[in-house]
Amino acid sequence: MTVFDKGWTLSGWRRTAFWVRRGLPFWLLILFWFITAAAVAAASDAEFPEASDAEVVTDHLTARLIPEFQHVMPGDRVDLLLVFDLQPGWHTYWRNPGDSGEPPRLTWTLPDGVRAGPIRWPYPERIPVGPLANYGYSEQALHLIALHIDPDWPAGQPIPILLDANWLVCAEHCIPESGRFALTLTAQLGASGGGAVSGDAEGLGDAEANALFAQARAAVPQPFGAPVLLDRDGSPLRLRLPWAKLSGQPIEPNEPIEPVESNQSNQSVQLKQPDAIKQLEFFADEWGMIEHAAAQTWQLRGDWLELALSPGATPASVAPSGVLVATTADGVRAWELSATPQSLPPLAASADAIPGAMPKAGQHSGPDATLGLPLALLFAFLGGLALNLMPCVFPVLAIKLMGLAEQRGLALAARAWHGLMYSSGVLVFFGLLGGGLLGLRAAGAAVGWGFQLQSPVFVALMAGLFLVLGLSLSGALTLGSGLMGLGAGGRLLNAGPNTGPPDRVRLDRAALAAFGTGALAALVAAPCTAPFMGAAIGYALTQPWFAALAVILTLGLGMAFPFALLSLFPAWTRRLPRPGPWMERLKQLLAFPLFATTAWLLWVLTQQTGPNGLAQTLISLLVLAFGLWLLDVVRQDGHRWQRPARLGLRLLGFASLLMAIVLAAQLGTLIDADTSTSAGDGRQQAIQQATQQAQAQGVLPSMPYSAATLDAALAEGRSVFVNMTAAWCITCLVNERVALTSDRVAQAFAERDVLYLKGDWTNHDSDISAYLSDFGRDGVPLYVYYPLGAEPQVLPQLLTPGLVLEALETPGGGSN
Amino acid sequence: MQQAQHPLLTIGLTLCAALFSLNLAAAPEVGAPAPDFSVIDTKGEVWTLDHLKGKTTILEWTNHDCPYVRKHYDSRNMQRLQHKAAEEGVVWLTVISSAPGKQGHVSPEQADELTASREAAPVAVLLDESGEMGGAYGASTTPHLFMIDPEGTLIYMGGIDDRPTSDVADIDGATNYVDQALAELAAGEALSTPVTRPYGCSIKY
Repeated sequence: MTVFDKGWTLSGWRRTAFWVRRGLPFWLLILFWFITAAAVAAASDAEFPEASDAEVVTDHLTARLIPEFQHVMPGDRVDLLLVFDLQPGWHTYWRNPGDSGEPPRLTWTLPDGVRAGPIRWPYPERIPVGPLANYGYSEQALHLIALHIDPDWPAGQPIPILLDANWLVCAEHCIPESGRFALTLTAQLGASGGGAVSGDAEGLGDAEANALFAQARAAVPQPFGAPVLLDRDGSPLRLRLPWAKLSGQPIEPNEPIEPVESNQSNQSVQLKQPDAIKQLEFFADEWGMIEHAAAQTWQLRGDWLELALSPGATPASVAPSGVLVATTADGVRAWELSATPQSLPPLAASADAIPGAMPKAGQHSGPDATLGLPLALLFAFLGGLALNLMPCVFPVLAIKLMGLAEQRGLALAARAWHGLMYSSGVLVFFGLLGGGLLGLRAAGAAVGWGFQLQSPVFVALMAGLFLVLGLSLSGALTLGSGLMGLGAGGRLLNAGPNTGPPDRVRLDRAALAAFGTGALAALVAAPCTAPFMGAAIGYALTQPWFAALAVILTLGLGMAFPFALLSLFPAWTRRLPRPGPWMERLKQLLAFPLFATTAWLLWVLTQQTGPNGLAQTLISLLVLAFGLWLLDVVRQDGHRWQRPARLGLRLLGFASLLMAIVLAAQLGTLIDADTSTSAGDGRQQAIQQATQQAQAQGVLPSMPYSAATLDAALAEGRSVFVNMTAAWCITCLVNERVALTSDRVAQAFAERDVLYLKGDWTNHDSDISAYLSDFGRDGVPLYVYYPLGAEPQVLPQLLTPGLVLEALETPGGGSN
Repeated sequence: MQQAQHPLLTIGLTLCAALFSLNLAAAPEVGAPAPDFSVIDTKGEVWTLDHLKGKTTILEWTNHDCPYVRKHYDSRNMQRLQHKAAEEGVVWLTVISSAPGKQGHVSPEQADELTASREAAPVAVLLDESGEMGGAYGASTTPHLFMIDPEGTLIYMGGIDDRPTSDVADIDGATNYVDQALAELAAGEALSTPVTRPYGCSIKY
């Protein structure tokens, strides 16, 4: 032991030193191994953690990275889905975030031989933020990414995937967040992403994962696959697309989508279903192309759909591309668009204005569509002239007659002045109407000629106006002078002590009355369209504003012309008896056409608003009449009373007038609020009732027009007669009474099995507006006959039974 | 659907849309006179475009809580630009358009406190509570920068740089449009990129 101890103390030390010296490399090796192992372990911990790290929960969303399949085959690709489940009120961003914000950024850490593609963005939604707008996703954002695996990837070797994602999540304010996601996929020979492999993603059942992938894929916009044009020269930018592509109809090889030869034999009647698309929104790919928050409007013209976009800050220098999202009854469709910048002519109804497109003769562009300006002006003048003869002007006839009678005994200069004032009245009103119409159009509203009568408020106010004028003519009221004092004009002239020249003041007032008469005549006549007029206005509205206004004013000129002429050459009026008490009687008599007009307008109103609106309007008229009576009483007897009483009664009178106007104005809200459905139903019911009535009486039964009905009937091979009408269009009603419901016509329709479709434009109906514009028209009436296998034929705006029968006889139309 | 088809509603909405787009269309154009404004600063003094005649001016829209603004203030990038502008005799105005009650809205005292604590160097901080000035300029984000030349012509509008992120690390290596514009102005050149995409949080009008 001691020896050993001794030995140990000596040789033991030596031995130890020896072994230590001998073993040093070994120890170092051990140490190195440990360190390396620890480092590798640490590194692999950091880089390739368990698959459960594929979910990140933040304060505002839960983010998940899901592989479609756990097992992949080398050389194949597997889709990954980065899902954000957002808390209510929070949103993340699309590739163009809009006015602010930032799209998510992904940084991949992938082994060699594996690479990730870009995000395949689902179509975004527009998220309004005050006056600004963002493009992004609320509730759930699905980011699809394809992962490509090299064919050389060794089978069986795991594929570690690491994703660092940064995203901005915003509600009122914005929070930048980030997350790290790790996945390990297995490479497997012969096992691609087929359904045979169990693709269980962490935390998800197959069903949910599959549903999410399906949802993500469905939301990725499809390539549009047809040429798209963008005119970015002006404001708005105009994006023009072939309608057939949008509506999902098959595009015939010879449809004018590509610049190809026209082939007459292969034309099919294309049907317009603009209402099939409920909403259309374009999302620009890059900032600067469009104002993100601005409203977008679209219209359908022939084969083309045009979207008006407010230009952004740099519209000309960014790529003209983006995503178009269409919401239809069937769901949402989205396309990737890449437009060709090009100066585009305005979408006239003529298809040949579009480069590369061949005109389709008379099919969508009516025969009136290709008018030049001079011809349009001529048509407008003739139309204006004809307007005087149209039934819709009957109510004004009374006023006109009064005007002529008033002029008796005036000097030529005074008569000329009178005629001029009348013409100015007409022109000013037409100018205002045209300006309003063009303004609304420019703002993107799809309104047409006569649009003002589609507003129940306007109709109610007109009813009130005609009631007041009627009361005034009948002598029940004494109105002051001024625009409203049309009856007063005559009174002023004729109440003079003799037939000698009236004094200056009276002349001025009479002239003012003439102006008012003109404006009123135009007011009543304007909603109607006469022969020539439809074509002229249809043309005008596709033109720049000055040309359009010129056409509309020429129309007014045409309307004013006969009366102005009579003012200058009053040979005819000389035959009228000399002024006397008969004039007072005539005036009273002429009140009746005005009352009739009121009655008619009230009938129109029932079509628009139903019984409630009628009741409200009648109350409004009652209050109006009461107010006027009260004011009249104060005017006549007021001098006998105390000043406060006089003032109080006058105030009450004015308050009544105001009340009447307020009641009428509330019709707008009535429609919006409660009759939005019932009015529509009411209208539908009215049509049905009319149809039943007609059937009962053995006259022409009709069906309400809809693009789908027309479509179906034509597809069935039926001839169709389309009648576009409105309750406020007297010409339409007269045509229906005279020509369309006659026994002979009804019989001819029945014999030929012609479907009679009636489109009611009494209230605004964009479907019908679009149909009208297809024929280069902008107002009713419009009669189109679709003979079997032949092109549709537009009938004149004044129908006779003979005309209708003749149209039915056209080749291909019906019995033979 | 029926409701949307009603003419009055349509007309009303369209008019609103028209007014709204007019409002936006009235947003400034580079090369055109800058929109006028009349806004008080934190000292209660009124600033108008006329005040700025004869000086180059930079307008900086801000919201101190916005991560994108913080990126440029925390890194002192914004302060650097403000000092640089001051050295070159350029008037730097910081504008706060957050409406009262909205995020980013501050009292004059808070605004001054922010300026002091961040060692920022604007000539003044304008309090555009009504959002009128922001609306006139079409300012949409924080930060959003505008430059006006001594004649009152708008010469720049857009972002602070070309890296639209809230990550401080992205400041290095970014093309800073304000630096670039100041350099080009000093050299008497026209600005090479007068319009860029602004990025950041939306202004809480």
